Amino acid sequence: MVNLLLVAAAIFCFLGMAWLALAMDSHWKQVRKDRLTEFRVRLLRSLGSASLLASVLFCLAADHASMAALVWTMLLAASALGVAFTFTWRPRLLSLLVVWAKAAS
Amino acid sequence: MSSASSPSSWQVVSRIGAGVLGGYVFVWGFIALGLSGLYALGMPFHDAEALSNILGFLLYLTLFLWAFSTPYLDRAWLVLVGSGALMAAIAALIQHMLV
Amino acid sequence: MFQNFRLSMAWLHTWFGLVLGFVLMAIFFFGALSVFDREIDRWAIPESRFESQPMPSFDKLLRPVFESMQPSKESIEQMRSRVDGPMPERFETIRSWGAYTTHRDPVLSLFTSYEVPNAKEPEESIRANRTIDPRTGVSLPDDQLKIGSRFFYPLHYSLNFRWLNLGYWIVGFASLIMLAALVSGVVMHRKLFREMFTFRPKKSTQRSTLDLHNLTGVVALPFHFFFAFTGLVIFAGIYFPVSHSQLQQLHDQHEVLEAKETGLPHDRSGEPAQLASVDAMVAEAHRRWAERGMAGEVGFLGLTHVGDSNGYVSVYRAGTDRVALTGEGIHFKASTGEVLREDPPSTTVENINEFLTGLHLQHFRHWLLRWLYVLGGLAGCVCIATGFIFFVEKRKRQYAKEGSQTGRVVDALAVTCVTGMLLATVGILIANRLLPSSLPSGWPGRGDLEQYFFWGTWVLAMAHAFLRSAAVAQAKLNPAWREQCMALVVLAPAAVLLNWLTTGDHLYKTLSNGYWPVAGLDISLLVASGLAFLAARHLRRKALGAPGSVHRSPVLADAEVQHG
Repeated sequence: MVNLLLVAAAIFCFLGMAWLALAMDSHWKQVRKDRLTEFRVRLLRSLGSASLLASVLFCLAADHASMAALVWTMLLAASALGVAFTFTWRPRLLSLLVVWAKAAS
Repeated sequence: MSSASSPSSWQVVSRIGAGVLGGYVFVWGFIALGLSGLYALGMPFHDAEALSNILGFLLYLTLFLWAFSTPYLDRAWLVLVGSGALMAAIAALIQHMLV
Repeated sequence: MFQNFRLSMAWLHTWFGLVLGFVLMAIFFFGALSVFDREIDRWAIPESRFESQPMPSFDKLLRPVFESMQPSKESIEQMRSRVDGPMPERFETIRSWGAYTTHRDPVLSLFTSYEVPNAKEPEESIRANRTIDPRTGVSLPDDQLKIGSRFFYPLHYSLNFRWLNLGYWIVGFASLIMLAALVSGVVMHRKLFREMFTFRPKKSTQRSTLDLHNLTGVVALPFHFFFAFTGLVIFAGIYFPVSHSQLQQLHDQHEVLEAKETGLPHDRSGEPAQLASVDAMVAEAHRRWAERGMAGEVGFLGLTHVGDSNGYVSVYRAGTDRVALTGEGIHFKASTGEVLREDPPSTTVENINEFLTGLHLQHFRHWLLRWLYVLGGLAGCVCIATGFIFFVEKRKRQYAKEGSQTGRVVDALAVTCVTGMLLATVGILIANRLLPSSLPSGWPGRGDLEQYFFWGTWVLAMAHAFLRSAAVAQAKLNPAWREQCMALVVLAPAAVLLNWLTTGDHLYKTLSNGYWPVAGLDISLLVASGLAFLAARHLRRKALGAPGSVHRSPVLADAEVQHG
């Protein structure tokens, strides 16, 4: 059970970091050809923040609060590294996270 | 203090000395004063020690960076060593009164 | 001296980073290994490859072992100069006995300390220690080196350089510089968030190295900062021994007051006394912890003033379920077993201090967090190593033009402390599996030989790096990088193979038994070998593709000027 919670925390942390990165123009351009509108930036940032929040809640559900704080901080670092390397070597994978945004014609 | 773009070796040595040794003397005084002062004010001994240590290291970092960025190196030496010695002396006085 | 704050920070970051970076590299790498120090011990001492054990019965098992312990000949020799008159045959007055275990320890460490008659300092103690199998009480041979917890771990905080405690001081100074490098790095790096997820390996070496330097520095910034900082806090007593020098009197006065307050005697009474059942005291401690909702195993069992009517027994909990290093100690009168004192709940300052030290010393049970710490430590290594490479890349053409050897030296030292350090690490593991279990008399101990292999490999790697460094002076790549990577490709799996041949524990067996201490290290070695292969292949392509020249796009120039 604890392991499942931690896996969920890790997944949400990665998603959160990825969405926050996609809200940046340079990274959006790595996965999409259309423009990153103001609306999309706000949406991506909210999605990212909500996802990181979910991650911290899963951490808190899994461990004592002091430990959860450490796990979450370290997950942030690991996720950011993971996101950065995915942008470097497999940027297409991250386009899956924005399939909902219809390509502007 | 000159603002030449390539620093002379003496200036570099003096700055490193101020940051490392001056900073050390100041933090020593700070920890001694913090430990004895807080203990005299009624804080448990180990609490006073731990608190002074934790703050002491953060202070050391700040002073170290300051010693490298201040244009007034002589004053930095004076402040660091002077106040460090002063704080250590007060700490010794407090110990003298308590023991 | 500097025109502005930013330039002063850049100077500090570059030059202090360069000088102390070599030390920091070792601190970070062996720190990362120390996360799994106990597991590395299991790999290195095959006799101890069994499940972790709880604290065994004191009355039945530990007591006879403690009673049979005496200081080693070496420690008696070392003590001789601190004593007036001859040394006794046996040390009879026991100051303390201690047994320490964690949730990752199959073996149990025992420590004793004794009063030294006629010592020049009345507080002088002489110590002894032993490691036993807690299931049987049988001791493990003395010369078996616990490579994880007794070599890599002390290397992390003291460089195993004991003389005048100098190793601790170098590490402490390096930690301060690490903190300063982090702050100055943030000041220099203007696009902290804008480039947070950016790594462009296809750009010039200089640019991609800087990307990786920034990436690994920024994303793990909290980790880097808190580990350097808490490392200093843990050893504050060494770096600022205020309460043992200037304020010694205050400290002593407090100790006596504290003993009065806690009811735990500070000194012996001189009256001999029997020892009641310690197992009953441990059971009582378990009951009291359970009452507080903190059930758990015993981590540390300590007896003070053994054999005296003032003797007491302290039972501490193994704090595996939280970060803070608290023991919730319960203390009993040794002769009767009555409870003398229960440690009160921590004060706010204690809570902060215990959290800070606990997050670094990690006594908790949390495999994910341990691996994340390894990742943080390795990110730190990458950050430092890329710092060196950036330093050389940025200046190498200028150095080549001036005929300066600086770049060559820095690059060779970088090889030494990146691939050389990895080779030394694999070297000690290979030596551990190759050396026979009993050596001819007159030879150094087995553990000592393993350490010589470690340092020997490292020195060889360094010599190799310098011998092959001529290319750097012509702004080319040092071939030692690739050659040492290739050596790792071969040697890391060799360690895995030797482990199989000498113990029969191959990966299929350890994995199917779920025995992670050995399987984990074997897999890590294989992964290291694979990564070294990729690196070697990349370096080879680079050497073939662009001999001596690195493409440089003009857009980058301004971004780089600011850095270093």
